[in-house]
Amino acid sequence: MPAVQDTIDRVRKIDVDQYKYGFETEIEMDKAPKGLSEDTIRFISAKKNEPQWMLDWRLEAYRRWVTLQEPTWARVNYPKIDFQDIHYYAAPKSTPGPTSLAEVDPELLKVYEKLGIPLREQEILAGVQKPADSELDEANDNVYKSGRVAVDAVFDSVSVVTTFKKELAEAGVIFCSISEAIREHPDLVKKYLGSVVPTSDNYYATLNSAVFTDGSFVFVPKGVRCPMELSTYFRINEKNTGQFERTLIIAEEGAYVSYLEGCTAPQRDENQLHAAVVELIALDDAEIKYSTVQNWYPGDAQGKGGIYNFVTKRGDCRGDRSKISWTQVETGSAITWKYPSCILRGDDSRGEFYSIAVSNGHQQVDSGTKMIHLGKNTSSRIISKGIAAGFSQNTYRGQVSAHRKASNARNFTQCDSLLIGEDCGAHTVPYIEAKNSTAQFEHEATTSKISEDQLFYVMQRGIPEEEAIALIVNGFVKEVIQELPMEFAVEAQKLIGISLEGSVG
Amino acid sequence: MLEIKNLHARIVEDGTEIIRGLNLTVKAGEVAAIMGPNGSGKSTLSYILAGREDYEVTEGDILYNGESILEMDPAERAAAGIFLAFQYPMEIPGVATMEFLKVAMNAQRKARDEEPLKIPELLKRVKEAAGSLNMDMAMLKRPLNVGFSGGEKKRAEILQMKLLEPKLCVLDETDSGLDIDALKIVADGVNALRSPDRAIVVITHYQRLLEYIVPDSVHVLYRGQVIKSGDKSLAVELEENGYAGIIEEAA
Amino acid sequence: MNLQITPQRTLAETAIIDAFGERLSALPGDGAVMVKRDNAIEAVKAGLPTKRVESWHYTDLRRLLTSVPPHDETANAKAVAPLIEGSTVLSVLNGVASEKPAAIDGVTVQPLAEKLADGSFAPALETYGSDDAIGALNIAFVGDGFFVDIAEGSELEAPLELQNVQAGGQTHVRLPVRVGNGAKATIVERQTGSGAALASSVSQLLLGDDAEILWIIVQDQPETATHFAQFKAELGKNSKLTLFIMNAGGKLVRQEVVVDAKGEGADFKLRGVNLLAGDSHTDVTMVLDHSVPHTTSTEVIRNVVTGRAKGVFQGRINVAQYAQKTDAKMACNTLLLSDDGEFSTKPELEIFADDVQCGHGATVTEIDHNHLFYLMARGIDEKTARGLLVKAFLAEVIEELEDEPTVEALEALLDGWFATHG
Repeated sequence: MPAVQDTIDRVRKIDVDQYKYGFETEIEMDKAPKGLSEDTIRFISAKKNEPQWMLDWRLEAYRRWVTLQEPTWARVNYPKIDFQDIHYYAAPKSTPGPTSLAEVDPELLKVYEKLGIPLREQEILAGVQKPADSELDEANDNVYKSGRVAVDAVFDSVSVVTTFKKELAEAGVIFCSISEAIREHPDLVKKYLGSVVPTSDNYYATLNSAVFTDGSFVFVPKGVRCPMELSTYFRINEKNTGQFERTLIIAEEGAYVSYLEGCTAPQRDENQLHAAVVELIALDDAEIKYSTVQNWYPGDAQGKGGIYNFVTKRGDCRGDRSKISWTQVETGSAITWKYPSCILRGDDSRGEFYSIAVSNGHQQVDSGTKMIHLGKNTSSRIISKGIAAGFSQNTYRGQVSAHRKASNARNFTQCDSLLIGEDCGAHTVPYIEAKNSTAQFEHEATTSKISEDQLFYVMQRGIPEEEAIALIVNGFVKEVIQELPMEFAVEAQKLIGISLEGSVG
Repeated sequence: MLEIKNLHARIVEDGTEIIRGLNLTVKAGEVAAIMGPNGSGKSTLSYILAGREDYEVTEGDILYNGESILEMDPAERAAAGIFLAFQYPMEIPGVATMEFLKVAMNAQRKARDEEPLKIPELLKRVKEAAGSLNMDMAMLKRPLNVGFSGGEKKRAEILQMKLLEPKLCVLDETDSGLDIDALKIVADGVNALRSPDRAIVVITHYQRLLEYIVPDSVHVLYRGQVIKSGDKSLAVELEENGYAGIIEEAA
Repeated sequence: MNLQITPQRTLAETAIIDAFGERLSALPGDGAVMVKRDNAIEAVKAGLPTKRVESWHYTDLRRLLTSVPPHDETANAKAVAPLIEGSTVLSVLNGVASEKPAAIDGVTVQPLAEKLADGSFAPALETYGSDDAIGALNIAFVGDGFFVDIAEGSELEAPLELQNVQAGGQTHVRLPVRVGNGAKATIVERQTGSGAALASSVSQLLLGDDAEILWIIVQDQPETATHFAQFKAELGKNSKLTLFIMNAGGKLVRQEVVVDAKGEGADFKLRGVNLLAGDSHTDVTMVLDHSVPHTTSTEVIRNVVTGRAKGVFQGRINVAQYAQKTDAKMACNTLLLSDDGEFSTKPELEIFADDVQCGHGATVTEIDHNHLFYLMARGIDEKTARGLLVKAFLAEVIEELEDEPTVEALEALLDGWFATHG
């Protein structure tokens, strides 16, 4: 297999330092001292002018957290994290809180410009140009047409700006940082925060509940179709800080919202911790579509540095006929530990999970989903595409379960892995549990490499090897890419190419 | 245009020698048919011409327009104008046929320092070529070769050949699995490509295809060597008497 | 602050540990064997596996193993008629090897108690991995069994049936079989009995190069019995092993299959039929290693769940680095026929080589309504039609075995089960 051998050689030589978002920005920061204690939590809460109930909630979580142990069941290996060696709060000094665009530190705006995230509303209003050749691209036929995206930009521990707030408010949609929501909409926050991921849920979620610093809050009232895409852009900049964001999205009866998140961080030798919690709540007939392009710094070619991404994401299809759809493109992070899940509580509710996880270098991915069927006639669909290259380990871990009363539960799972090179591993660990005789579950998984025959065929048409591999890989992930909003789909395809650089052009 | 000199080649994995001193010359404008019994090395020859790395050339050379191509990878050979119509075209899931055509045409143009084709121009060319092969444009939205019938796959091969405008076309058992109507369409497609500056090598087991694509020369391949060459009458003779006589004669 | 608590011993754990003290002097074994027994009971003392132990996720022994009967000297187990007529039968009755049968050409048979007593079997008393509770339990208590050696090149005409029959109390048996290069045989492993026993049985198969074995396990313990079984095999170059398992009884059953395809060109087939009824809990767990290049495997498991039965299939295929060209396919299909039944499946792939073709599929369904409608439209009443479809679903796997007497015998068992549980 000489052609493949050649690819393997190139993967070996791969330089993960090609990470494009690895720059660091000098911005004056306001930080909490290193370490975690009740005082740290009081400090964070005070910085955010939080009401007493919020502080109490945090402290309760913290007291529970100190009794817990780090989970070890995932197929990831990393040295023990010293939780006392982390800053739990870091915020740009110039921004006392969420503010209007005019007040944002120009340095910060530059960061987002460099990242390609438009924060200036007038630029966004100009709309996103459809690529000239989209006529050829079937994937783009059913995308969200609005072309406008409202952005909440989270820089280290705080939200620096949220765009289009006024226009959204006119439609009745609340889109702001979670800190602002705690102050301005305490009733909503009290009602829903922790109702999907309780403070006791798991080690990292409990930690997050104690120390979360910011994140986004979305509330779409009854019957409202959110007039534009909402998105949050997470950036870790400061050294030795953890990012603990908390996102809460509520879609009331008949509401619809599509939300996107993107993430990057500078290149550093030491590992940084990112432990987020995302909660989605969909009431009767509501629909939430949540898309992620995760591109945290993955570490260098030797596996040094990179983000530890320990994330708890869960959606609750609380209402009848509600729908929650997760789409993720995971290319970054040294370690990914993430299982966006759906609790299908309402009758006729539906959960979806579409995932692309690309690992290269020394990255370790353990990701998947849980579809918990509780209501009647609930259905779920899982499409997972894992691509492992270099020395990486890529695990799909998923659970599908139908409880006693979940009559007519339906699940379809397709889980495919592609291996590039002989030093990586691809693993599939599905848990399929049926307690109802009318449940119908179908699960299929395959693991293979790009076939020599396919590669030869494509190259025979004059397409150079790296481009040929990229073409085949993009074909392999097509089903998932189609689920992304158009702007993200184009971005994601490029990102997959960059992530596999060395084996893919 | 194509000159194969004392070519020896073996399978990399187990070292089996398949091509054992093969000589063949095909001139520009010529249609050469290569015939031979199963296992004579016909398909191997087509793979070696296209640069498949499962085979290793141990001796001899392949000259294309006077220059050796042995050091070129498959994509470079394709960009230089060598096209192989596969006996078993590969399925490429998730990659729409149209998208594939665009990438392939532009990759070759790039290799020749030409500007990429503009979308309207590309669409125009594809529509024209597909029309001449009785192909539905809707089919081109489907992933390449995935779920195509045998006849559709062969037509898609000829479509690619038309669009890529190669100088040396190698057709490996293009007639296999085709009914008579499809065979005629495919043959018409090939015949339309006949031109003074293009050579076509037709590899086939049966004479049937050669009734529609009439060759200028016929070469009989056996055990990795050309054991007899002649004009189109040689194909007719083979059809009537089989390979046994010629093999004995050569031995 | 570390709040890890050492949990209190369960009744079953205590009973096992006490039984060890009482039985030890009566168990065969030299010093080396006794050291193995001691180490094994230490593992039991550390606690039976809970659902937190990944390989026992769906069979929490601490919770499910509620009582352990004492050893019963007086239990009277009787040999049963062989599954396939004309088989050569070796019976282990109530945990003790019966007298040797007449000599079989090309086969050497020795009671295992002898090989334990003289210590020659000590090296083979090994657990696999750290969570091997069945292996540990068996090593601690194993009293007898048969050691079978099939000579190089011999082809057995009649099937060899290894019977393990219990009549209550505890029985702990081992059935090691060594198959020489190029040898061929059909081996039937019968796990049956009449009492509310705790039975453990470990089969060890060493398959020589080019050897071919069809191994059929039939388990039809009474609905009061606890049955822990393990089948371990190592496959030589170009050898072929077809393992067929039928589970049709027992209260708490765990059948482990641990196969290492360690010779190039080895081929493994697993076919399983699990018939689950009543309050039973049945767990089939397979760990298959493809350790070298060019090995192949397919696994097909079919399950039917009735009553309040709970079923589990865990199948893990490990493909080692450089075990290129591995071709492995696994399927697990379940018909859940009762609202109170449960089935959980965990088909895992662990792949460290890139040039492989591996896949698995799992389905949990009801009977296909279109099929049912079709049969009923032809005048077949619903109950009969359902029966036909369920049987067809299972028979598909059995008929793959092709050997007529074997297929007939297994289908007869199937009919028998449906007559009582259908």
